[in-house]
Amino acid sequence: MPHLDDEIRQLAARRHLPDTHLDRWLSLDEPSRAALMEAAGLLRLRTGQLVVALDLLDEIAVRESVSIASVLARPSLHRLLSAPGSVPERAHAFLDELRAMRFPRLRETTARLEAAIAAMRLPAGIAVLLPRDLASDELTIQLVASDAGELNRLIDLLVEKRAELSRILSMIGGGDEV
Amino acid sequence: MKFELDTLVVEEASRDSALAARLVAALGSSVPVSYVADAREAVRPTPGPDPFGAGKRRMVVLKRHTPFLMACPAGSAKFACCGYLVLVLASNCPMDCSYCFLQEHVANNPAFQIYSNYADSFEELDRLSRSAPGRHFRVGTGELADSLAMDSVTGLSKDLIEFVRDREHLTLELKTKTDEIGNLLQTDPRGRVIVSWTLSPEAVWKSSEHRTASPSARIAAARAVLDAGYRVGFHLDPIIAYEGAEKDYAHLIDELLDVITPGRISFLSMGSLRMTPGLRSAARRRFPHDPMLLGEEVPGHDGRLRAFSALRVRLYRIIQQRLARAGRPVPAYLCMETSTVHERVFGVAPANPATIGERLALG
Repeated sequence: MPHLDDEIRQLAARRHLPDTHLDRWLSLDEPSRAALMEAAGLLRLRTGQLVVALDLLDEIAVRESVSIASVLARPSLHRLLSAPGSVPERAHAFLDELRAMRFPRLRETTARLEAAIAAMRLPAGIAVLLPRDLASDELTIQLVASDAGELNRLIDLLVEKRAELSRILSMIGGGDEV
Repeated sequence: MKFELDTLVVEEASRDSALAARLVAALGSSVPVSYVADAREAVRPTPGPDPFGAGKRRMVVLKRHTPFLMACPAGSAKFACCGYLVLVLASNCPMDCSYCFLQEHVANNPAFQIYSNYADSFEELDRLSRSAPGRHFRVGTGELADSLAMDSVTGLSKDLIEFVRDREHLTLELKTKTDEIGNLLQTDPRGRVIVSWTLSPEAVWKSSEHRTASPSARIAAARAVLDAGYRVGFHLDPIIAYEGAEKDYAHLIDELLDVITPGRISFLSMGSLRMTPGLRSAARRRFPHDPMLLGEEVPGHDGRLRAFSALRVRLYRIIQQRLARAGRPVPAYLCMETSTVHERVFGVAPANPATIGERLALG
């Protein structure tokens, strides 16, 4: 489809898309080429966003043995193309949804852990921080206090939450709840 | 199992070696043989779409000028470690696993090299034994190459077994993904040789382990060498956390224990798939359609990509629980994991590498 391929090349030139990514885009089946062109246009994806989208879409397609067109047709992605709201916000949400599809169990585990942390209802002076991408089994607990009384109160509260914190640590380390 | 080669290159200095004579006799009628004064050029990448893959089909016989014996490259103070020593008798492998670290490790010299002066390594091994009287060492040839892939033509296993079987402080580990055990069945190891197989579920084998023997064939080969007087070990490494992996690895353990009772397994190691970003790029370039390279790996403290902590520890624990159910304990350890992960899986801190190494060597 020469007209579509010309449009893709023109967009790639405007965005200074690396040749490797342009070649990958052009090597897709026609519905996938067209669906990505539509998404790139409607969300006005910038160079970096296009590169990330292409990488993620390619990986999702290989992982699930599906075409990129079928990934982009999924309701959670498709509705972002024409949803209300600012274009940059929708572009950001689009990439976030692609990451969730690429790393489904990581996303689900993180959500469970965040829910468990939220359920502790900790005060503002205590932050429980998960390891980045759950790459390690280390939990970081941060206390922020400006006087001794406040510090003591936070420490006492932490001691009360010992069981919940241990449970979260166990979940990070592959405990049965995950 | 037969592997195809495009060419056999022999360095002049190795022309009269026993190894070159064996290889020329076995392969000379089917593969072009050439002799070169200096093999350095022959081991380098050749131009083309897949220099690493081409290197696998170009066997080069040459002398090794650096020590044969080295510490396992996976060893590190950061990780629990098994104290394994590597004997480098060859470099690269005729099989082609999509996740193989050699794609990065030997990218600049990808030819399938075999060292004609391998018998010089025996003096290094004797020196090692003399340096620590009373200690036992586990030494293996399967780190930078498969120990048995070309054994039917090189016959290296016979010489190695002949050497170690009278040395009570050495245990030789031959690590493989093949069922090339013909030479082993003709040799009495006198208890000094462990043959180990890397095992993966059928799904990983089909998707990623090209030109290797099937998991069932590997287990059958293990049973055969066990009956011939060898000890056997298994490496579940890499463990890949794909969708459905928990069930598949549990089935794999069941299949293994149906054929070999737990009391007769010398050890089982576990290690999750880990890739540097460079390896991942190289692997994805060569195997763009392999979903096993696209798990939920994230960068860790050492810069390598691994399945996120909860996912891989859970998989280790499932395998460990399956082993524990078997009745008799199977000695198991983790490769390239921290002490904390070791404790989460086994409930105890790991012993130091020398202790683990000796324990595995003694069986």
